[in-house]
Amino acid sequence: MTEPRAGRPEATGQPPHPATVLDDVVHQRVRLGILTVLSEAYECRFATLRDELGLTDGNLNRHLRILEQAGLLQVSKGYEGRRPVTWLRLTREGRTALRAEVAALEQLVSRIRTAVLDPPDGED
Amino acid sequence: MDRGAAGEAAETLAALEQLRRRTHQRTHGGAWLPALGVAVLLLASMALYRYPLSQTNSIDADYPFWAGLPDEQVSPVASYVFWFVGTPLLFAGMALWYAWRARRYGVRVAWPLVAATGLGVLVLLAVFAAVPTGPVPVGLTLPNGPHWGGLLTPLLPLAAAVVVLGRAERSRGLVAAGGWIALLTAWLCTTFPLGYLPGWFTVMTGGTEFGGQLSLRPGHYLVLMALPLLVVAAVNLAVARRAARD
Repeated sequence: MTEPRAGRPEATGQPPHPATVLDDVVHQRVRLGILTVLSEAYECRFATLRDELGLTDGNLNRHLRILEQAGLLQVSKGYEGRRPVTWLRLTREGRTALRAEVAALEQLVSRIRTAVLDPPDGED
Repeated sequence: MDRGAAGEAAETLAALEQLRRRTHQRTHGGAWLPALGVAVLLLASMALYRYPLSQTNSIDADYPFWAGLPDEQVSPVASYVFWFVGTPLLFAGMALWYAWRARRYGVRVAWPLVAATGLGVLVLLAVFAAVPTGPVPVGLTLPNGPHWGGLLTPLLPLAAAVVVLGRAERSRGLVAAGGWIALLTAWLCTTFPLGYLPGWFTVMTGGTEFGGQLSLRPGHYLVLMALPLLVVAAVNLAVARRAARD
């Protein structure tokens, strides 16, 4: 028995496989973490996010640039006293993308769980 | 292959949920103080009434209801000053609290929206009802209204601010507490005397006339308004303390 492959939903008439909905920009583990942290706060400091995710400045910067270019977050710079501070905020698109990603992951898990608990005839 | 992907997805979801909870606690663990501040302001406004808790046979209320609820005030001007100084002071305290938390925890809450809502509605109130004294208009004392004038009360800006605070703090309890304050205020201020059931309600209950509730005084209603806020504040503080210990 062949399993339905991602990207061929129209051939079977079934709903698309959840894996096809996963967004490459968002799906990366660190970027998912960034979006999750930002989804809970109005704004988050760069250093707080870096420490929370256990990343280096350079690594976090690289991911932030990708997310910013995709329009999923906003970066603003300011000062706390004399200290420069970078604040990060999730955009509306970012929130929508995170929601879609989490929904796709949940669907994926639920789909496989259903297949495991209720295997097709002839398969154990 | 799919099972492996599902396992990985489940693991990712669990890790994200843990991260989300941790960030939620860090960001919204300070909601207890603003909630407590609003509750204290509400309870402190009892001092504006001549008989906040004791029984009375008659009420001589000044309109607009600057004390908040339609009852006899010690001084309409004192009530006016209390709300127009107290509410901005509350928001200033809130600003200091959230600024301190932003420095300490590195996350911000959308508190400026809360202050803008509260102060915005308060300014609207000042524009619509600029004169702090006068007898209760005849229309307000009739079961059939018009009642809208009763809504010119400083309690509604506070209720609106609490609803927006609930949104900013992702707290359904705070949103409900704000809605509760607005509901009680709208009911009490659009009917007179305090707690009088309006005409449409008596029609709904088959024409039974309940009359005013002089046994429940403004103080009792203010405690009812503040109670959900105090519960939310206590729960939020308890959760924040437990999270800090863990």
